Amino acid sequence: MSTQTPARTPGSPRPGAGGAQPGPASARAIAWDRRRRSLARIWHEFASDRLALGALVILGLVVLAAILAPVIAPARMLDVTQLLDQPRFAPPSLAHPLGTDDQGRELWVRMIWGSRVSLTVGVAATLMSMVIGTLVGMAAGHFTGWVAAVIMRVIDFFLVLPSLILAIVLSSVLERGVLTIVIALGVTSWAGTARVVRSQTLSADSRLYIERARVLGAGHWHIIGKHLFPAVLPLVLANTTLTVGGAIIAESTLSFLGLGDPTKQSWGTILKNAMDSSAATSGYWWYILTPGIAILIVVLAFTLVGRAFETIANPTLRSR
Amino acid sequence: MADLVFDDVSITYSTRSARGDIRAVKDVSLDIPAGGTLGIAGESGSGKSTLIMAPLRLLPDSATVTGRVLLGGEDVADLSFGQMRALRWDAASIVFQGALHSLNPVRTVAWQIMEALSHHTAKSWQTPEARRARMLDLLASVDLAPEHAKAYPHELSGGQKQRVMIAMALACEPDIIIADEPTTALDVIVQEQVLALLTARVAEAGISLVMISHDLSVLAQVCQRIAVMKDGEVIELGSAQQIATAAHHPYTRALADAFPTIGDPASRMRPARRSAAAAAAEPVEPAKPANPAGEGTAAAAKPAASAPEAPTDPVPDAPSRPAPEAPDAAAPDYASAPVLLEAQGLSVTFSARGRRVSAVDDVDFTVREGEIMALVGQSGSGKTTLARTLLGIQEPDRGTRVTFRGEPIPTRGRALKAFRREVQLVLQDPSGSLNPRLSVYEAVAEGLRIHGMDDEARRVAEALEAAELRPAQDFFESIPQELSGGQRQRVVIAGALALGPRLLVADEPVASLDASVRGEILGLFLDLRARLGLSALIITHDLGLAWNIADTVAVMHSGRIVEKGTVDDVLLHPQHDYTKRLIAAAPSLRPLPEGAATGAEAGGGTGHGPAARGSHAAPARDGR
Amino acid sequence: MTALETQVDSAAEAPAGRLGGGFLPYLAGKVGGALISLGMVILLGFFAFRLLPGDPVAKIARERPMSADQIAQLRHEYGLDKPFLAQFWDYIVNVFTGNFGTSYVYKMPVSDLIAQYFWPTILLTGTSAVLAIVLGLWLGQKSAWARGSWFDKIASGSSLVLWSVPTFWLALLLLMLFGGILHWFPTGGMVTANLAPWSGAWLISIVAHLVLPVITLTAVVYAQYLMVMRASLLEEMSADYLTTARAKGLTEDEVRTKHAVPNALLPTVTIVFMHIGGLIAGAVTVEAVFSWPGLGKLTFEAIHGPDLPLLQGTFVVFSAIIIVMNLIADLVYRQLDPRIRRA
Repeated sequence: MSTQTPARTPGSPRPGAGGAQPGPASARAIAWDRRRRSLARIWHEFASDRLALGALVILGLVVLAAILAPVIAPARMLDVTQLLDQPRFAPPSLAHPLGTDDQGRELWVRMIWGSRVSLTVGVAATLMSMVIGTLVGMAAGHFTGWVAAVIMRVIDFFLVLPSLILAIVLSSVLERGVLTIVIALGVTSWAGTARVVRSQTLSADSRLYIERARVLGAGHWHIIGKHLFPAVLPLVLANTTLTVGGAIIAESTLSFLGLGDPTKQSWGTILKNAMDSSAATSGYWWYILTPGIAILIVVLAFTLVGRAFETIANPTLRSR
Repeated sequence: MADLVFDDVSITYSTRSARGDIRAVKDVSLDIPAGGTLGIAGESGSGKSTLIMAPLRLLPDSATVTGRVLLGGEDVADLSFGQMRALRWDAASIVFQGALHSLNPVRTVAWQIMEALSHHTAKSWQTPEARRARMLDLLASVDLAPEHAKAYPHELSGGQKQRVMIAMALACEPDIIIADEPTTALDVIVQEQVLALLTARVAEAGISLVMISHDLSVLAQVCQRIAVMKDGEVIELGSAQQIATAAHHPYTRALADAFPTIGDPASRMRPARRSAAAAAAEPVEPAKPANPAGEGTAAAAKPAASAPEAPTDPVPDAPSRPAPEAPDAAAPDYASAPVLLEAQGLSVTFSARGRRVSAVDDVDFTVREGEIMALVGQSGSGKTTLARTLLGIQEPDRGTRVTFRGEPIPTRGRALKAFRREVQLVLQDPSGSLNPRLSVYEAVAEGLRIHGMDDEARRVAEALEAAELRPAQDFFESIPQELSGGQRQRVVIAGALALGPRLLVADEPVASLDASVRGEILGLFLDLRARLGLSALIITHDLGLAWNIADTVAVMHSGRIVEKGTVDDVLLHPQHDYTKRLIAAAPSLRPLPEGAATGAEAGGGTGHGPAARGSHAAPARDGR
Repeated sequence: MTALETQVDSAAEAPAGRLGGGFLPYLAGKVGGALISLGMVILLGFFAFRLLPGDPVAKIARERPMSADQIAQLRHEYGLDKPFLAQFWDYIVNVFTGNFGTSYVYKMPVSDLIAQYFWPTILLTGTSAVLAIVLGLWLGQKSAWARGSWFDKIASGSSLVLWSVPTFWLALLLLMLFGGILHWFPTGGMVTANLAPWSGAWLISIVAHLVLPVITLTAVVYAQYLMVMRASLLEEMSADYLTTARAKGLTEDEVRTKHAVPNALLPTVTIVFMHIGGLIAGAVTVEAVFSWPGLGKLTFEAIHGPDLPLLQGTFVVFSAIIIVMNLIADLVYRQLDPRIRRA
């Protein structure tokens, strides 16, 4: 009764069906075919959410601009020594579409180059925190006894302490650079993922099919690889998309605090420059609005896409 | 006094999905006169729960009701929301299914009962003091102590919560009480007490009762009339006695047969398989050859498939049904077979927070080759812990001796893995025992891969065929969600069979299946024993199941085996008080054949004559 | 930050494992856990500032030119010329005596600085937390109950936008709009100079200075609380006991306030307090933007120094505040949930 589709009625018995035994190869083909169909179904479900589809298109455009940065806006346009005759703090106009900054650089050029760092850091830090979070979370959910207790203690610790505070400490004591920010964000922000993965693992681990696999003779690795990991994977993937947004904000915050790589453009660095040149109180509104709105749009887009995936991975969220 | 009338009621759920609208209830006309009792029987998805939400307009917004629902002569659709609220609980109250979730977890019992009272104050409980007094009276009337008023729901047992629900339903002196599966998930003895209480209070106050259940025998005990619902329609309506013993509709008969009467020789070693007519009415499993009720006609395909007669059947009369076509051909004589599994002094103690809790206490038993043994006990009796210990998942206490073919059960490493091939497990909930991401082929092949066994495709196909999923290839690519509950359980069994075990341990193998599928899975165990000589240890709360298929039975209570022996000895001539209570509490449909059930009658209660049924008389509450 | 919705589920599940026991064992367990966390913070403070590539002196020397003598002098001041275990022992003793060393920038004891900047931060974050909790929970339950309505769409849509905004940018935006353009509120500091403490004008000045930073912090955090409350109430909305309540003849408002919300609050409380940490982290940038003289601004200056003793001090104090808040959350939770209280 709980079946979503009517109970499948296998085709009428084929004459001599008992004779021809399909080999494992055909079983694999069947599995692949089913995977392809389920991917198509996921895409169909995703595309029915117009907002998320639009967000995905925007993300595609931003990524394209970031990749093509050297073509659209050659790096020399950022070289301050070649910009001595450019106006400083020029408001947006036809000549300067997004205005210029305190050193006469075109803001739109900085934005395009900045998107490279912002996106790279966002994605890389997220991947790092996802890998750590998934491993720790699955370990915490699957193992029992004092191992789980110790892991939980560590998760709780990182969950309670805001990753930003820890990341500030880490990036203060490490060499300034993009890699530092990635590491600082990656090793401090995995606790949320670990917690989600743990509760998902716990619920999967209490499933009877795990008990069944155990009785069939399966060891830890079989159970983790064959049952637990596939069960948490969709949620982790959806979570990844959601977390990228948070990581982009965190990157901009660290850069804003002056912990970024001073030689690289990033949206947070632009805002730091704006703050340093008192843009807010001096009326250089474009200097503040442009990078902020860019962050808002990209983070919102990641969030919308992530929520759409999350709904597909966990249909009970559909009502939200 | 108000009566309740359903006049040509249909209820449709509108869904946004591709499936379109779902007609959950179709053209149902029923009436419950004031003071009457009506049972509505049906399996999951029959629309029975949807139907009874209509009188108080508790259906979600997505549901559309057509036809008329009259409560006390008034069409409830015509009432304003304020009028409807005034009617709720005052004219009709509901005892919801599974009181576990129907009580607010953060409010006390007293708070929840008095809330109902304070919303309908027109009567004799105007003041808070009067309400408090009435609340205590109500608790007393359902045999709960005043201390329970201060309890939160999680501090009460399942039976106590259901009593609270009943007290709450009685609170505002309603004309009608609607009870939705009030005893599902309760143990038999508790179920009997709750039913007795409900019927007694309802009879005293002259309240009408509408009761819903999937279990015909429960309804037959409590209700004057029974309506049987299937796919949203009432397919049969009649007196409780007629429905229970002389149903016209084959589906009703299938439902009635699903729960055997202990002591009825017709169901001994012959679980009710889907009758030909019922199978035609509900073609869920075309892969399976249709079996006339109770008979193994697949005999042509598999000569020794049918259920063997129990060698110790004490009933002298010929069974009322025709004997199977190929009886006894391969009936294994388990009594002289070598011992397969033996437990001596088996104990399991858990230590939690410094306290030691004995889950299994000094248990001895043996399972021989080809024997089907039923381990019967209520929840908390330690039967599942026992099963886990036998499988080597749970470690027993020291001093315990469990041997398989004379060798102690290994606890780790390669020996344990090899042992896994010999003893396999079938779990209660087939939907949960299959990973929803794996196809049937992969699920069955999983064990083969773990053990590195070759010739995978052939073994998978053979296992599926052995579990009567034919032709096996048609099921290879199915995923569990596409299968019915019975088919899923067959896949689980096939997965166990693929390893070629000698013993199947089955933990409540049919408890989560619809009644009509129950018999088929039980029949499969008999077939497997006949064809493969497979032994089985079946863990269940259901004495009827033991009567259906087991050779021997052990009754567990509080971690101990209180009585064991052949099914006929134990169930027909119980010695231990607890066994007698269990048998007495089991609801039954039919009177027993003369002389067949002396032991059961000694326990009292089972032998309700048809005349006694359908009245307001409370079932016997013996053994409390 | 991760999906708030999924946190609700796990928060609801988490306390189940800690059932049983009286109040004292519960309290002991919680306090013990908090102490372990504090210990980890203290260890982290030691290792992060001493063992990572380059000790504090090397770090300072990298940032500004110094002579070898100066470096040796500094190393001695920080005790870096001692053996490792001795350094560790000094550190532990210092932490427990409240001695975090001397600030490089301010040339005064870190503990004095922290004591001086502590209360403004508490004022700012405390006010924002109360506002955010009240607004977030109230709007969140309204929003969930009227799911799909315009109210819900606006409330959850706007919180999604606020969630996607960096806190410091919102601060800059408000500073620009209300400080730079409209001149409604002062743009920095905590109080206008030369006012007598506790005079009326002094209090009004503080409130005026407080408005913009509080709005910023509240806006970002309330959005998260709204989403948590909304999600956890939605989780409850299909619960069976609500059907019981409706069948008893309650109005929809009574069903919501007496039955659904008390249950939905349980997972929310845990998450709300967990996010207090986020609020305090937000204080770093907000105080930097508005020059609010609190621990956040101190941290900001310590980063720029770089002033590692000061940074270490603010890190330990921030962490301690957050750990204490979470301890309080656990105790509040116990009061709210009878399943823990009386199990």
